[in-house]
Amino acid sequence: MAHGYLAPTINAAARSGRDGALDAALARLVPGALPERPDSPDLHVTAVRWLEPVEAQFAAFPSGLDPRLRRALEARGITELYTHQAEAIGLALAGRHVVVITPTASGKTLCYNAPVLNAILEDPASRALYLFPTKALAQDQLAGLQGLCETVAAGSGEQIGVFTYDGDTPQDARRAIRGRAHLILSNPDMLHSGILPHHPRWAKLFENLRYVVIDELHAYRGVFGSHLCNVLRRLRRVCRHYGSSPVFLCSSATIANPTELAERLVEQPFEIVGASGAPRGEKYFVFVNPPVVNHQLGIRRSYLSETRRIASEFLKRNLQLIVFARSRLSTEILTTYLKDDFDGIPGAPERIRGYRGGYLPNRRREIEKGLREGAVRAVVSTSALELGIDIGALDVCVMAGYPGTIAATWQRAGRAGRRASRSAAVMVASSAPLDQFIVRNPAYFFDASPERALIDPDNLHILVDHVKCAAFELPFTGQERFGRHDLQQVLAILSEQGLVHRTGGSDDLDHPSDEGVWTWTSESYPADAVSLRSVSSDNFVIVDATREPRVIGETDFTSGPSTLHPKAIYIIEGRLFQVEKLDFEGRKAFVREIDCNYYTDAITYTKVTILDTFSAPPDTDVGRDTAERSHGEVHVVSRVVGFKKIKFYTNENVGSGELDLPEQQMHTTAYWVTLPAEVMALLPYAPDDRRDGIVGLSFAMQQLAQLLLMCDRHDIGISIETEDQSPRIFVYDNYPGGIGFSAPLYRMHEELLDGTRRLIAECGCENGCPGCVGPVGDSGALAKAAALRILDLLDERRAIGGGAGDREARTA
Amino acid sequence: MNLAERLRAVVNHPGSRSGSASQPSAADPHAGSVAVPPGGRPEAGDLERVLGGEWRDAPHGRSFVVVHRYPANTFHGHAAIGDLASRLAGATAAAPLVSAAAARAPFLFFDLETTGLSGGAGTYAFMVGCGWFDPAGSFVTEQHLLVDYASERAMLHSVGRELERAGALVSFNGKSFDAPVLETRYSYNRMASPCLRLPHVDVLHPARRFWENGESCSLVALERQVLGVRRIGDVPGFEIPARYFRFIRSGDPRPLAAVFEHNRFDLLSLAGLTARLLHLIECGPSETRDAREALALGRTYSRGGLEGRAVASFEHALALCAGDTRCGGGTLCAGDTLGVGDTYLGDRRCVGGALHRGATSTMSVKVEALRSLAIAARRARRYEVAAARWRQVLDVPGCPRPILSQASEALAIHHEHRARDLATARMFALRTLGMKQEAAWGDAVRHRLARIERKMISERPLFPSSPSQPQPSCGSPRSGPRTSS
Repeated sequence: MAHGYLAPTINAAARSGRDGALDAALARLVPGALPERPDSPDLHVTAVRWLEPVEAQFAAFPSGLDPRLRRALEARGITELYTHQAEAIGLALAGRHVVVITPTASGKTLCYNAPVLNAILEDPASRALYLFPTKALAQDQLAGLQGLCETVAAGSGEQIGVFTYDGDTPQDARRAIRGRAHLILSNPDMLHSGILPHHPRWAKLFENLRYVVIDELHAYRGVFGSHLCNVLRRLRRVCRHYGSSPVFLCSSATIANPTELAERLVEQPFEIVGASGAPRGEKYFVFVNPPVVNHQLGIRRSYLSETRRIASEFLKRNLQLIVFARSRLSTEILTTYLKDDFDGIPGAPERIRGYRGGYLPNRRREIEKGLREGAVRAVVSTSALELGIDIGALDVCVMAGYPGTIAATWQRAGRAGRRASRSAAVMVASSAPLDQFIVRNPAYFFDASPERALIDPDNLHILVDHVKCAAFELPFTGQERFGRHDLQQVLAILSEQGLVHRTGGSDDLDHPSDEGVWTWTSESYPADAVSLRSVSSDNFVIVDATREPRVIGETDFTSGPSTLHPKAIYIIEGRLFQVEKLDFEGRKAFVREIDCNYYTDAITYTKVTILDTFSAPPDTDVGRDTAERSHGEVHVVSRVVGFKKIKFYTNENVGSGELDLPEQQMHTTAYWVTLPAEVMALLPYAPDDRRDGIVGLSFAMQQLAQLLLMCDRHDIGISIETEDQSPRIFVYDNYPGGIGFSAPLYRMHEELLDGTRRLIAECGCENGCPGCVGPVGDSGALAKAAALRILDLLDERRAIGGGAGDREARTA
Repeated sequence: MNLAERLRAVVNHPGSRSGSASQPSAADPHAGSVAVPPGGRPEAGDLERVLGGEWRDAPHGRSFVVVHRYPANTFHGHAAIGDLASRLAGATAAAPLVSAAAARAPFLFFDLETTGLSGGAGTYAFMVGCGWFDPAGSFVTEQHLLVDYASERAMLHSVGRELERAGALVSFNGKSFDAPVLETRYSYNRMASPCLRLPHVDVLHPARRFWENGESCSLVALERQVLGVRRIGDVPGFEIPARYFRFIRSGDPRPLAAVFEHNRFDLLSLAGLTARLLHLIECGPSETRDAREALALGRTYSRGGLEGRAVASFEHALALCAGDTRCGGGTLCAGDTLGVGDTYLGDRRCVGGALHRGATSTMSVKVEALRSLAIAARRARRYEVAAARWRQVLDVPGCPRPILSQASEALAIHHEHRARDLATARMFALRTLGMKQEAAWGDAVRHRLARIERKMISERPLFPSSPSQPQPSCGSPRSGPRTSS
């Protein structure tokens, strides 16, 4: 490249050994291409970007800051603030709700710690509540905060108590913490089930609550965010009862709609602080597309093998790296691969570690410490390490597969990056359509805004759960509001169940008056039955019965059947276990360590039944059932019916088994496409091939839907119904009650179909591949052609002026 | 579907775990209520008529209280109320031995009925039962009822006035449950809780020590076993919240009558157990009915620093154990606990239920009594007596291994440092070694053994004429006997 040698740090001799090692590893990956070159969609490396170092921008301390706090900060070496810190602190001191958008390691904690400590110095009775999405993050912040508070205490004599309060807090310490803590570091789950229901014990906190800090705001999307919004409704309600009105300080990674998300979660107007004044070291960002190994089938080299190869190159040069995998399974597979690569080298197994949810806390703490201290050289992790747990700054981040969203990709890439030296992030695309779209269109990633975080706090399932919790905490009045729906009607239905009782006011359920008070009249403790993170608070524990039975991990209830079915291979840090028995009622899976060369993949059967259609195109009331697009309420039944045995490395299918497990059911919302009978009739294919076409179409549609919704893969499910004359393809919200995806999909119907069509048509394969309609073995030889034909026919139909509904309306 | 239908579907969703089985269904909202006067809620007079209570004025409204008096000559189990009163009156000085705080008379027995067991802002104390003995020897109960949620402050006020008169609160499991629930209610209403100021005697823990027999240690089990009380037609605990909710919904107070009765019974039994407990502590081992009571008594004294009374109690326990092997001799076999409590000792049938809990348990009481005596003797520097007790421990057939090893270790120490009989010390050390399981302990014993053997060699040709000669690996004689710790 012409500008290739305009790299800013030319003097090779001056580079640290680490920079040299990094350059050498990158040179092997992209010979001669540093620092940048144009995107090349058809090459092995499709994009190389150089992100230039950024100089720090400083600002003075805001004038409102207590001199004692300022002295304490100076004593800790903070003599100036970055511009974003000064701005955020100034707004917070003025009592505005603030959301700060910050890259990793830009000093975001000071943005909220300074106003909080300032308030405590002004009035020692002041209290603050910090919410982190995980216990680990709270633990992680504790030491730093305590250090700062000690410095403040040394200079001012003001003792400031900082404590974590979560499920791990010993019972006998809790009373003391309630009395002594100025700063409570907790999580939404503990606030929901351990603090709000016991608010009388926390009267001191709620009377004096000045600030609520919500860290990692972007983590609260979908289900978790919808729950959190309701927990915050309850929090503000309890605060009102105690006469306080806290200011909310939030921090978020880069998402498209941070202000909107904050305002939806807290239901208050927010100020945004977006421009970071923090310095940043230079970074390379590389996109890798594994080469095609079978042109006919459109099969590329396994992205896991490719990731392994690239990670080994860095690891060999003693660069510290993090590898992100997309699932627990691929985390374990990659850990195994990397350990194999360095097999026989003394100490290697301790230096290469896996990390994911389901590992017990001790093991996790040990790995985090090893990373910070440099003893662990490589960690393979799920998204569990994406959030701000302090593992220090690493040299390299390799992502096995596109993380699914632009925001998550930047967040993960941010794990690599030291202020003074060079770092690299490498994204290795899988053959999944979404990955292929991104890797072949790097500009989409580098130039587009990241995605929007969606929540639906008024999902009835979620809302009703929290109305119960709120009624337990404080009686509801007849005028009170809680969310978008009619609270009085919700309470009336709950009173039918005997859960609440109204005293005063009218007993007529149809004409509720606004007088009276609703009191909780049940023995139960409703918060216990509500888990903020999943459909059910249940989980399965994995018991290793090889020797003395011991618990080695856990898994949430919904993924239990598909990962812990009998004969499933359960992998933890590269060790293989086979499930011998699944005690479904007891929520236990008994496993035994084995040695084998395959893993298992569950086959799940899903059936969707329409319960109610919310919308069809406005003029098609007559023809609702044949409308091309619809959304509404559905019933989803899914059951794990069998599993496949997949050989490591080759991914060959080496066997299968049938299973008989209980089915799981839910009500949710869905968007669906109906393929009109006349369209089906025009297809020049046999019924089986038509079916293959629909399967292939749905496969591609799911990917596009994920891209358009910017959601996680698990947030939506797909199902087809081909029994009928007019087959249907459902894209449903994978959560009871729905989480707000079906309405946007309904609106983006044409965009979705056009995108799907482009994805399939522009794919270079002949008869379908994992990058478009799915692997040929799964989808059939004519799937690609049939899917395209269906899309063409739908397109023509739209072009001639409307769907079946319009036509029927005209003929009626 | 309209909102109501969708809500019903959500609320009835199989995944939603709401309500409880004892809730009235939507179809039958007045389940269990009979004859609600026309016009909805019953008249105010119904409460007084059905429950026999009275209204009292409080700063935040009126509060409803049911007062009940059990005259001195009525019986609770096999004791007259008046006797319980006088026993308690004579034993108040013993109270500090079972509670950390300075408990003093007058005692106020208290017990809550709540709308749930989980605690938290939504768990209400709908009934606060208080009881005390009056100067005439009667037992008086005052039960405060939460007539509706709005009148909670009034109720708490009137409860507070009641509690203010007390010198100490007495409860059964109240430290873990009743007091925190009540405290929560006071803080919920932004009122100062009177509980915090008062010494609190929770009878549950001492009762466990004195009377737990491997069965339930609930108040009902204890009152049967210790006081000879049998409840007839008592309302089961799990039904109580549902009865209150029924009252709240319908206004019909009748379901509550049995709850009042239940709460009064709890208060009476609590008073009876307390009287028995403090009386035992006050009067000493001669009043105990069985070896276990005597053992628990000894431990109570020992904890309170009353070593002389402790030793007497342990010795009494030993004597009762001896009597127990003869069966029936000397021990009290109260006929009142026939039935569930009956135990069979092989072919020797014993009456008295928990008083005889089989040979194994007699053995363990005996071992514990001997062990406690040995430790007490050692503390009093009566080393020969202590050694004799440890030898007796070793002689008990079926004595558990950890205690055997403790005994032989103590004897090894005794013979090495006190009796200076190294051969015997070595014998006991060897015996300990055979019994220790933990590696660390084994090391300590081996260490001791090696030292004893060194001493045996070095002392063989000499008279032990120079006791002040330094012995690096063992403590000086003045430091007292060493334990393996």
